[in-house]
Amino acid sequence: MRFRRLAVLALAVVTAAAAQQFTVPVEYHTLDNGLKVVLSPDPTAPTVVVAVYYNIGFRIEPKDRTGFAHLFEHMMFQGSKNLGKMEFIKLVQSNGGILNGSTRFDFTNYFQVVPAHKLETILWAEADRMKGLNITQENLTNQQGVVKNEVKVNVLNQPYGGFPWLDMPQYANENWYNAHNFYGDLEHLDAASLKDVQQFFDTYYAPNNAALAIVGDFRPAEALALVKKHFGGIPKAAVPPLPDLREPKQTAEKRFNKKDTLAYRPALAFAYHMPERNTPEYYAMGLIDQILLQGEDSRLTQAIVKKKGYASGVGGGINLLGNMFNYNGPMLWTVSLIHDNGVKADTILAAADAAIEELRTRPVDRATLDRALVKLRSDLYGEYEGFFGFGTADLLASFALFDNDPSRINTLENEFRTVTPELILRTAQEYLRPTNRTILTIEPKSGS
Amino acid sequence: MKTIIIALCLAVSLAFAQKEAPPAGSAPKDFTLPKKHIVTFKNGLEAVFIPYGRVPKVNISVVIRVGNINERPGQTGLADLMGDLMKEGTTTRTAEQIAAEAASMGGSLNVGIGVDQSTIGGEVLSEFGPRMAALAADVVRNPLFPESELARLKNNTLREITVAKSSPQQLTFEKFRSLLYGDHPYGTVFPTEEAVKGYTVADVRKFYKENVGAARTRIYVAGVFDQAAMEKALRDAFESWPKGPAVHTNVPKPKAKKQFHLIDRPGAAQSTIYLGLPTLNNFDPDYVKMVVTNSLLGGSFGSRITSNIREQKGYTYSPNSQLSTRYRDGYWVQTADVTSSVTGASLKEITYEIERLRSEAPSDAEVEAIRNYIAGVFVLQNSSRGGIVGQLSNLKLHGLPDSYLANYVKNVHATTPADVQAMAKRYVRPEEMTLVITGDKASVEKQIEEFAKGVPIEKK
Repeated sequence: MRFRRLAVLALAVVTAAAAQQFTVPVEYHTLDNGLKVVLSPDPTAPTVVVAVYYNIGFRIEPKDRTGFAHLFEHMMFQGSKNLGKMEFIKLVQSNGGILNGSTRFDFTNYFQVVPAHKLETILWAEADRMKGLNITQENLTNQQGVVKNEVKVNVLNQPYGGFPWLDMPQYANENWYNAHNFYGDLEHLDAASLKDVQQFFDTYYAPNNAALAIVGDFRPAEALALVKKHFGGIPKAAVPPLPDLREPKQTAEKRFNKKDTLAYRPALAFAYHMPERNTPEYYAMGLIDQILLQGEDSRLTQAIVKKKGYASGVGGGINLLGNMFNYNGPMLWTVSLIHDNGVKADTILAAADAAIEELRTRPVDRATLDRALVKLRSDLYGEYEGFFGFGTADLLASFALFDNDPSRINTLENEFRTVTPELILRTAQEYLRPTNRTILTIEPKSGS
Repeated sequence: MKTIIIALCLAVSLAFAQKEAPPAGSAPKDFTLPKKHIVTFKNGLEAVFIPYGRVPKVNISVVIRVGNINERPGQTGLADLMGDLMKEGTTTRTAEQIAAEAASMGGSLNVGIGVDQSTIGGEVLSEFGPRMAALAADVVRNPLFPESELARLKNNTLREITVAKSSPQQLTFEKFRSLLYGDHPYGTVFPTEEAVKGYTVADVRKFYKENVGAARTRIYVAGVFDQAAMEKALRDAFESWPKGPAVHTNVPKPKAKKQFHLIDRPGAAQSTIYLGLPTLNNFDPDYVKMVVTNSLLGGSFGSRITSNIREQKGYTYSPNSQLSTRYRDGYWVQTADVTSSVTGASLKEITYEIERLRSEAPSDAEVEAIRNYIAGVFVLQNSSRGGIVGQLSNLKLHGLPDSYLANYVKNVHATTPADVQAMAKRYVRPEEMTLVITGDKASVEKQIEEFAKGVPIEKK
């Protein structure tokens, strides 16, 4: 009797856990030309997200053209066969939509959120620029000016500009692909030619190097037919294999100081190389991030902000230019803060180390792990919804491009659930080693 | 003759055939605003429930008419300090317990202090909605304001102000507000160091007592939730709350006159520009027409000023114009960070675009495109939990009826090219604009003589 009751109870628990899981609809197709297509209907609002991801990030741009992947992203708005300069933007806006593009470690994306009935209009426009660009020297020169102003407003004319998101990968990584200036040197940006633009397009902007995600209020069969109609005829191209992005194992702590003459207060960041993507340790790091860094209850916030008052807040996480899912290569877990002149970086590091070492010394208790899981699950749902469903499109396109398996989106919750306190301990011991760490201090203008 | 005409027609149609027109899409789907359900408690406090979406999360926002507007002279930042201290514990919970409890629901307890109203609450997994309501109520109704945390929070404030004042955008914004509003609370963005150091827990308690209570509060619940359970939790937590102080308003009289200020930042790679003037607010019948006008002029990617100084000239990356509004108050402003050497040229182009719109009605097609854009953005603004709460609390702040949202898209579509020109003439008047530039004086000064003509130049 007892056993049977237990069995029933256990069943009930499993059902409750399963009911809590939120499932994202995923329909996956690959066209004959290699274009990966992911469809995820969601009728919540009469809108639709169209996101095109190209498997070319800023890591793998040419060595004498730093910043080129990003500059090229701008060129995708400068004209294609049927849409002249500004016409793509005006087409989206005049149909009641919003749009953007971004360049990240391992992809460049272009996305629109539009009224649902404008799906075909946008698919046509995205297909038009996947077919080819029509760029003049005048437009290239114009966008070189815009991008240089982007670098100025975000980095050169800004206190803490590029700290730590642009700086840290350059200090912590050894492999050029991971360690160069992704925004680009201004001279390299100036040196870009129309020939470079054409060559880059021909090399990377092919359907077999891209994923298209559609999320929102649409019927999958109709959407697929439209995708085939507009993208099906675009020829595939020979895409070069990705370069070797691997980082050597770090064996000694690294420390750097950067002067920032625009800043009035010092800042501190430290970063650890992440476990390889999709390994058990990788999922454990996702939970370690929740325990140590995310939210006001996190141990680093409690230690550094609440107890010691060294900073107003502690920021950071896995992949400062996205989330822990939308990259494909080496990555850092980064912590950063701004502090007062009177407090030494080492004093703050000591407080941080006390919290980190605790995690490397004994297994976390179940309650801590459960809380980390709840936070992570809630964050994940937030990610799905982010920017009117763009967040779902982002994960689906990333998993299609990097893993050829967008349905992974529905396995994530379970991967985190299976992480044990022992795995957390082992992961912290190996990856939160001081010898796996890079420290960066920002030295402000003297006398401030 | 005939043959020539035919040949010409052929040439024309061939030219057209080279470019394919975008497909129009299918029939539009209906958009209806999410339905809301209002429950009024015995103390007069309203709770607004908006079921929305399918992701199992819920937004609980306690919106209170308290903010910097309630600060008296010499009290700048006191509202913010009250907000910081509210998170530091209640009569029954420590700060650490509040943080841990919210985290265990998949959220955090946020206190956001605004100029006209403030929001306390957060988003949690749906199953924890009633518990989050209780936690938010405890923080709102029973703050401890512990003396022990005051020095740390004041030090944080001072550090944050120092960091903010190293940013050219913040410096420019601060000066722009000060020139427009003078001594009114909207005119002082940052408190002085002495003021911050002088604040006591007694000051915070007094400010709380004078400004926080049921009569100033409205609660919003949006997302996936159990109506009965949420209603009960809110009733249990808020129905016994005394009404407290009535809403206090203080409408400013911003300066509409030509003013200029240059903040010298030696060697700066860019000049940060704010150019604007007081204008209408949400309560004005012209407001929706002005929203269309602003989007066309500088407030969207495809707008005239952005097309000009970014997409034609490459002077800047993210220029933007906006209608910034508060209770019965508003200003229009164009902002841009431009390469130092083209500061004067940028101002010339901005002014040119303003004058062009004032002197000539835009084409039907241009206005039609902007109307569609705004109507589309309106759908998005009402298609997330936070967006819905924002729309409804904004409506309440400005004292606008529900029909405002219901008729919004209709009013957008009723805006004509003549209206747009009339709005620009009426509300975007260059001769009454305040201009603030933060940049390298040595490089900029000569370029802006034209704008500074006839007005005294203030220097730092």
